[in-house]
Amino acid sequence: MENELQRLKAEAEEALHAIGDKAALEEFRVKFLGRKGLLSSTMKQLGKVSKEDRPRLGKLANTIKKGVEELFQDKKEVLESSGGGIVEDVDLSLPGRSLPFGKLHPVTQVMDEICAVFEGMGFAVAEGPDVETDHYNFEALNIPKHHPARDMHDTFYVSDSILLRTHTSPMQARIMENQEPPLRYIAPGKVYRCDSDITHTPMFVQVEGFLVDRKVSFADLKGVLSSFIHRMFRDDLPLRFRPSFFPFTEPSAEVDIACVFCGGSGCRICKRTGWIEILGAGLIDPEVMKMVGYDPDEFSGFAFGLGVERIAMLKYGIDDIRLYYENDLRFLSQF
Amino acid sequence: MKFTLSWLSEYISIEGLNPDQMADRLTMLGLEVDAVQELYAGLDAIVTAKVISVQKHPNADRLTLCEVEVGDETVPVVCGAPNVRAGLITAIARPGVCLPDGHKIKKAKVRGEVSMGMLCSWRELGISEDHAGIMELDSSLASGLPLVKVLDLIDTMIEIDLTPNRSDCASVLGVAREVAGFTHQTITPPVTETPTPDGSGVDFTVTIEEPELCPRYAARKLTGVVIKPSPWWLQRQLMAVGMRPINNIVDITNFVMLEYGQPLHAFDFQKLAGKAIVVRCPRGNEETFTTLDDTDRELSPDMLMICDSDKPIAVAGVMGGLDSEVTDATTELLLESACFNPVSIRRTARILNLPSEASYRFERGVDPNGILNAMERAVQLMCELADAQVVTGGVDKYPGKKDLLKLDLRVQRVNELLGTDLTSDQVAGYLRGIEIEVIDKGENILQVTVPSFRIDIEREVDLVEEIARLVGYNEIPTTLPTIAMDYPQRDPLRLLRQKTGSIFTALGFFEAINYSFVAENHFDMLALADDDSRRQCVKLLNPLTEEQAVMRTMLLPGMLENIRRNINFQQTDIRLFEIGKVFSFVAEGVLPEERYQFCAVMSGARYPDANPLYFSSDRTDVYDIKGAAQSLLQSLRVQGKSGVISFLADPENVQPYGEPSFTIRIMDGDQELGIISKLTRKAAREFAVKQDVYFLELDLEALLDLPRIDKAFGSLPRFPSVKRDIALLVPENVPAGALLQDIIAHKIENVVYADIFDVYSGKPIDEGMKSVALTVTYRSDEKTLDDETVDGFHNKIVHSLMSGFGGRYREGKE
Repeated sequence: MENELQRLKAEAEEALHAIGDKAALEEFRVKFLGRKGLLSSTMKQLGKVSKEDRPRLGKLANTIKKGVEELFQDKKEVLESSGGGIVEDVDLSLPGRSLPFGKLHPVTQVMDEICAVFEGMGFAVAEGPDVETDHYNFEALNIPKHHPARDMHDTFYVSDSILLRTHTSPMQARIMENQEPPLRYIAPGKVYRCDSDITHTPMFVQVEGFLVDRKVSFADLKGVLSSFIHRMFRDDLPLRFRPSFFPFTEPSAEVDIACVFCGGSGCRICKRTGWIEILGAGLIDPEVMKMVGYDPDEFSGFAFGLGVERIAMLKYGIDDIRLYYENDLRFLSQF
Repeated sequence: MKFTLSWLSEYISIEGLNPDQMADRLTMLGLEVDAVQELYAGLDAIVTAKVISVQKHPNADRLTLCEVEVGDETVPVVCGAPNVRAGLITAIARPGVCLPDGHKIKKAKVRGEVSMGMLCSWRELGISEDHAGIMELDSSLASGLPLVKVLDLIDTMIEIDLTPNRSDCASVLGVAREVAGFTHQTITPPVTETPTPDGSGVDFTVTIEEPELCPRYAARKLTGVVIKPSPWWLQRQLMAVGMRPINNIVDITNFVMLEYGQPLHAFDFQKLAGKAIVVRCPRGNEETFTTLDDTDRELSPDMLMICDSDKPIAVAGVMGGLDSEVTDATTELLLESACFNPVSIRRTARILNLPSEASYRFERGVDPNGILNAMERAVQLMCELADAQVVTGGVDKYPGKKDLLKLDLRVQRVNELLGTDLTSDQVAGYLRGIEIEVIDKGENILQVTVPSFRIDIEREVDLVEEIARLVGYNEIPTTLPTIAMDYPQRDPLRLLRQKTGSIFTALGFFEAINYSFVAENHFDMLALADDDSRRQCVKLLNPLTEEQAVMRTMLLPGMLENIRRNINFQQTDIRLFEIGKVFSFVAEGVLPEERYQFCAVMSGARYPDANPLYFSSDRTDVYDIKGAAQSLLQSLRVQGKSGVISFLADPENVQPYGEPSFTIRIMDGDQELGIISKLTRKAAREFAVKQDVYFLELDLEALLDLPRIDKAFGSLPRFPSVKRDIALLVPENVPAGALLQDIIAHKIENVVYADIFDVYSGKPIDEGMKSVALTVTYRSDEKTLDDETVDGFHNKIVHSLMSGFGGRYREGKE
């Protein structure tokens, strides 16, 4: 009996090994594992063996049967998974079944990224009104009426004293008026200028930022903005600071990055200079400090502003700013 | 501000700096270079030519056949210019030469006659706009000479985008001063000694009635003036910076303005009534004035005018008058060099819409101490180029004379603000390099005398900026601030917007951002009632177009425009949402109320861009948008203040642009949080959309105020649940949702879930009836429910439904 079992086991293993198709496998199953198969018939003989041997032989028979069944399953899986992926009615070259999903607007995506960098540095996020007073948009930022700097802002007016903010800088005054340093804020939002062509839309999105404390220096401004640009683009991106003018900062700076289109060798987009302007900044002007009641000898700070569309343009290579607000799905789905 | 390198090199050596290096240095000093343009490029092959003979073309009336000498050669050329004549020295483009406009010259036969080149006009060579005929050059020139040499055309123009503070650099001398700073030179201005006019020796008077508006006015008289064209060098410099040459006198005043930054004006002396200049505002009867562009200008009483004894003759600092203009007949001049109040000039130029090179400089401020030098320079040029004699003496009224500003500069302050480590000597050295006088008072304090041309320097911090600029921003160290650590509060509204955005993108919607201003007729297109509060909008005084004339009071119109645009570009399956502000008018002179709203639209296929292999091409319907709204509210875990947010079908209370039978109001008790509907056919037509549009409008800020369903753990069920289905036949007008509501209303503890899984009407169901199939799941936390108990619950529910809504039922058991 025991020999018989061992012989069957060897025979089954040999037979399985030789099998190359499903038909043969089925034949095998019937011959060895079927209800009237060899293993079953042999096991029926167990009733005839002596009482002492029965438990041991029964156990052995079961182990062997189980072993053969496992081998059979293995062989079955091997046969099914071969044949170039076509097995039964599964064609794994067909596309996956995915439900449609949408995307955030590229301006929102870039804005979130910008905010995340500054929030990581401990800046709080605040928002102000889009429709703003002349006072906060200009006067509180050291831009009196009839100042030539107003030429830099093509302003939409609602009335003599109310306008659509031309920058997010009014938030500097609004926040400083109500709080004491140390302050670290960014203020994202829509801004408006009455100008529309291939490089200007009458509405665009800016992020204003500022930091005020004791002994904040121009070197600190350079440090924070360099970190921001490197996190936003890449760590080895060359950048430079150069003098500029804003009535609410002194000294004022503009920051250029190496042209991301030509790598700095000079192209149409960077006007052959190899540099692309990315943001404006400066130390907060003492006049602005005085207007909100800070002592400029005690506190100093820096402020900066950047255009989100411009950064999106540089990151994604968008060449026509008007596309941003047409909400064409062929555009929105690219980002 | 434009200048040429040849002009700049009149005052300073620029050797060793190529144009790009020059541009880079200026940019890094704060004079941002906008353009570097090589002038007269492509003229290398153009040479001088002498016309030997001219004959009529045998086959064309307007053409001539010329014999032209070019160096050693003589070539035939067909010419159409009216001024061609024997002996004329002009310029020729020979075959093979390409003109600046791209036109290539070939050996040609013109009406049967051979032409070996083209005689050129100024315009054809891109040198000036003159196209009256071919160029007429100095008759003493030989032929065959390169034109660029003859006309001194090798030059580069640099344009600076001047910031409003740097009025001192609105002049070539000002730029030269900056270059002197970084090349360690001193500039040589054209005028070094200036006579001081004391009012003697002249037969005219100057009276300043408005000293606040005119701090200084100087004038001199010239006689024997001969008006004629300027010499080539002068014309060339003006044209190179984009100015049109007029005549010698006008050109000289323009040239000196660009050179010194001081606008000048020349009056025809013989037209000055009373031989007087009076600087004053218009009198009551002086309401209009004709400027030299022959336009009548309306005057206002606060505009500053230059007048003679009778009447205004110029708008001060903005534009001269037609009547006192220099003409070809002028022989005597009064030359004005003055300084006006910047704000006054700016206002006037704005009101008259007359921005000019002069007003540009005056409104930024001119150097009050530079007036006489500029005048002297112009006088010398007029004597040289207009045969003028200057009348000795002149007038110089200077009521606004001020001492030069002296500022104390704390070196420690400089270092604190910049993060630098400069010594007093270094700081003083930088300032002296740009002609600023510095005295070291000791103890790290420098006394700085601000030169009169730097009107932008008024405070210590302005000097700090000068130091920063001269050190070089990139040479200043880069550090990080040390500021107390903090994790600030986060704006809950911003978090809500972000969460809403992520839910809706997950639901397959793309985010749109539209302009905050829209067309006012959107309200009509949506058929809003006349008294609808959304018509109370904020209007712009100066919109760019009618399409962007008012601030939006709702988001939907912008999104309907987006749908139309997308359909036009074959994107017909649309899911868009926007989160943005709307603006409600409050009162005149008061800021409007700004509020964030949410709007989503769906149109076209239910599964846009989904593979038809797996997804049906069914059109989207109202259940899709309702489902999106439910997903949003569920994910946000908002709970009504009333305890529950309900979706209420209310055909009686709808928006004029929503189909009543498709309108669902999202309610928290009596408060409407939002609305779901289908756009009416009429509104869709107004927006030129032909397919069905479903929309969701939500008051996002109202959601912010609602209580949230707490996240609270409940133990996982230990006992199995039991599911029972009911298929009920009810009259067709019974809302299926009401059946579901009824089950929930029973509040049988052991009902853990109920939903509708099928609604069917039609055969074999009796007419007027429909079958609604519901599933209910029962479970107890205490024990395994046996069939008998469940049947008890279930029967109670079924009976309630039957008695409440009528109809038959069959029960299914799993």
